[in-house]
Amino acid sequence: MTNIVVLAKLVPDLVEELEIAESGTALDMEWLRLIINEFDNHATEQAIILKERSGGEVTVIAPEAEGANEMLYTIAAKGADRLIMLKGDFEDGINNHALARAFAGAAKELKPDLVLTGVQANDDLDGSVGPLVAEYLGMSYVGYISGVSVSGETVVARKEYPGGLIAEMEVTLPAVLGIQAGEEPPRYVAISKVRQMMKTATIDEQEVGDLDASGGAMVQRMYVPEAAERAEMLEGDEEEVAARLVEIFKEAGLV
Amino acid sequence: MPERVNYWGIPHNWGAPELYVYTIMFLAAFVMLFRFYRQASLWWKIGQPEARWDKLHLRLGRLIQYAIVQTKVLRQRYPGIMHVAIAWSYFVFFLGTALATIHDHFFEFLFGNTLIVYKFILDAFTIVFLVGAGMAIYRRYVQKPRRLTLEAGFTGSLTLITLIVLGGLFTESLRLAVEQPAWAWSSPAGWALAQLWIVTGASEATLTGWHLGVWVFHLLIVAITLITLPVSTLMHALTGPLNAFFSKLDTSFGALSPAKETPTGEPIYVSQLSDLSWKQLLDGDACTECGRCQEACPAFAAGTPLSPKKLILSIRDALHSNGSQLVGEAILPEALWACTTCGACIHECPVLIEHLDTIVDMRRHLVIEGDVDAELQDALTNLGRYGNSFGQSERMRARWSKGIEPKIKDAGKEPVEYLWFVGDYAAYSPTLTEITKKTAVVFQKVGLDFGILYKGENHSGNDVRRAGEEGLFEMLVEKNLKALERSEYQTIVTTDPHSYNALKNEYPANGNGKKPVLHYTELLDQLIASGELRFTKNLGYKVTYHDPCYLGRYNGIYDAPRRVIEATGCEIVEMPRCRDQAFCCGAGGGRIWMAEGEMSERPSEARIREAVELNAVTDFIVACPKDVTMYADAVKTTGNEAYIVVKDLIELVFEAM
Ligand code: SF4
Ligand code: SF4
Repeated sequence: MTNIVVLAKLVPDLVEELEIAESGTALDMEWLRLIINEFDNHATEQAIILKERSGGEVTVIAPEAEGANEMLYTIAAKGADRLIMLKGDFEDGINNHALARAFAGAAKELKPDLVLTGVQANDDLDGSVGPLVAEYLGMSYVGYISGVSVSGETVVARKEYPGGLIAEMEVTLPAVLGIQAGEEPPRYVAISKVRQMMKTATIDEQEVGDLDASGGAMVQRMYVPEAAERAEMLEGDEEEVAARLVEIFKEAGLV
Repeated sequence: MPERVNYWGIPHNWGAPELYVYTIMFLAAFVMLFRFYRQASLWWKIGQPEARWDKLHLRLGRLIQYAIVQTKVLRQRYPGIMHVAIAWSYFVFFLGTALATIHDHFFEFLFGNTLIVYKFILDAFTIVFLVGAGMAIYRRYVQKPRRLTLEAGFTGSLTLITLIVLGGLFTESLRLAVEQPAWAWSSPAGWALAQLWIVTGASEATLTGWHLGVWVFHLLIVAITLITLPVSTLMHALTGPLNAFFSKLDTSFGALSPAKETPTGEPIYVSQLSDLSWKQLLDGDACTECGRCQEACPAFAAGTPLSPKKLILSIRDALHSNGSQLVGEAILPEALWACTTCGACIHECPVLIEHLDTIVDMRRHLVIEGDVDAELQDALTNLGRYGNSFGQSERMRARWSKGIEPKIKDAGKEPVEYLWFVGDYAAYSPTLTEITKKTAVVFQKVGLDFGILYKGENHSGNDVRRAGEEGLFEMLVEKNLKALERSEYQTIVTTDPHSYNALKNEYPANGNGKKPVLHYTELLDQLIASGELRFTKNLGYKVTYHDPCYLGRYNGIYDAPRRVIEATGCEIVEMPRCRDQAFCCGAGGGRIWMAEGEMSERPSEARIREAVELNAVTDFIVACPKDVTMYADAVKTTGNEAYIVVKDLIELVFEAM
């Protein structure tokens, strides 16, 4: 019986154009639409698969945000047993160090055997959540995992390396795993099931108190990449283009 | 004076013949009813309850139209004539026997001219029957169409019913040969056959003896037919009419019902026999195995695992051979997903079987189980999140209208006469925005007071519902109703026949009451009739028109688009499968969102080939945005770019203005 905790967060949905807030250091939340971090979605799927395969209990922890309720109910409809929402001053976005401390605080109480979370997210500005949580919980961490099986006190995790290499590693529990992809793609949950969950499931709301963002990076300036000027199109046949290239290299002092 | 002779030539020395006849017939009828009851009781013992007892007068009307007059059967000439020749003859024989019984026991009226007419009609129908039976033999043993079930059971039934009629004819002729009454001509067939017996010169006693033999044989065959009826292919003579009687009344063809519920209010998603309602089980037993549905089915024609006939028969087989699991066993998910919800099966079925409702019920089960393919899952997820299947922000919904001057009114902000429900494809598909713009320009040019909902519009949910995602359908309906309730308008006009169907038939009356819904082709037709839309050019193209399923079969709109096309000065050449027989493009019911799967020929390609066969037709006119996409692709993949161009009807209108 494994006690699995999934850490999930909502991230900006890139379907909408991103705007920078007046402060110039963060995204403008007003125009932002949030969506579950895709990797967290895979982590959730992996947790449910583990539960279905070898039993256990799945608890999902998510920070409060617009749409977090719905996200939690959707995960419950997939088969999660317990839903926890962290309440605190997350409003204007916080760094992952603060979030990971909050996650770790809530997870510690649950004495998890296995903590799963997405290996990365599109708003990770100061490292990803997984290793930080592992650090705060004093557990080991392996990232880029795409498949987990539990056997007693250990799990076997498949880690993907660039270039198509895959390693199977045995990890002693308790541990935190950063999920790159679940064994199966996230399943579809019928809306009626989610709506049913809204009526029957309860979300356990936990105050996190003061957030501690120390150790994380502070954003100085956030801006849309500036379009580079002075692109020159080289025209003509191969000879001409090559000659012009050499010229440019010379001008730039490269040759 | 012609008089009816009762039990002519039947010896009375064993007691009155009617005693035997009635005893045998009552016993046979009893056995038949008992066996029928045993079969039928499975419907309500296993099936879920469903209310189908309301509006009995309408149901009686259905019974008369479909079981007695048999209008659906008659939709196809050869099998239609064949079947009514047989069925109507039996109705007449049945009535004739009943009248004879009345005459014998209650009220004598069969004498003189009445008797002559009576005899003549019965005799004439003997010939009608024989023609029908002959056609059936030819069809079954020579033509052998693929759609038919060619099994021994059907041969047996045909043999029995033919023997019964021949038995009647032979007894009649033998009696006439002996009696040779002056009015023998009133039974022309019997009298003609009698000549044969007369020519043989057999004695009266011999002929009377033969008569007795044939009479007894006739009686026994009738008894056997009755006794075996509930387990034979003739069962449809009972279940067919019942099915017509209990067919769906309140909801129009285009409206589905939500999932049925258990007494405690839990929805029932159909995966096994006992999840079906008794009516859906009756559907299984009512199937005549005629295969009309299968022949009309685009999914079957494309070589997918779906045959609507097979699907219905799997229900019957499961019911009578205890295989209770349906989905995943007798009915494959791939078959269920292959349905385009074109409605051709329902439209063709002579006994009004409701294939589509059952298919959607089973799809609901698959959706609840999360058993949907990746592409459909993406589409549904997008629809749930953004209200469109394209996965784009709702803020982009009206981007196509950029540059149109004056800016199109926002129906959510100011009152309009026509609220234009643009639909997903017309709004988001980059290849269709030009056409959508033309629609807007046409509307503006005729001075229509119209507006759109901008980001307030969501997918109508028509095909979401048909894909089996009822919860999402409800959610989309709620969102749209909210936007509609906020708006002030007189009429809704849609680009898409699918939205049209949902808004017209499935949306409940909203806060503004139920406002009329028009398809843009209907609106244009009205504007032409009222003189508001006038053309300056006569296009003179030779075109063909494809009836979209959800406009044609679902809602009976066939003429409005044709009138508009003709008003632009184009000549319409019809494809062989047109109007209510139009062949689906293959996109409906969520198919456009799913992986295509294996197919021998795409329905859209088959359709384009059909159009190209037509003489000198240059334009393939459609009235559904999905059709533009589907057929433009099919023209390319079939290599017909040089011969035919796919155009939306609005393009003709735009050009002719
Ligand atoms: S609705 Fe159309 S595609 Fe579906 S089974 Fe009937 S005929 Fe076939
Ligand atoms: S379902 Fe209807 S159309 Fe299809 S084979 Fe049966 S009776 Fe014929």
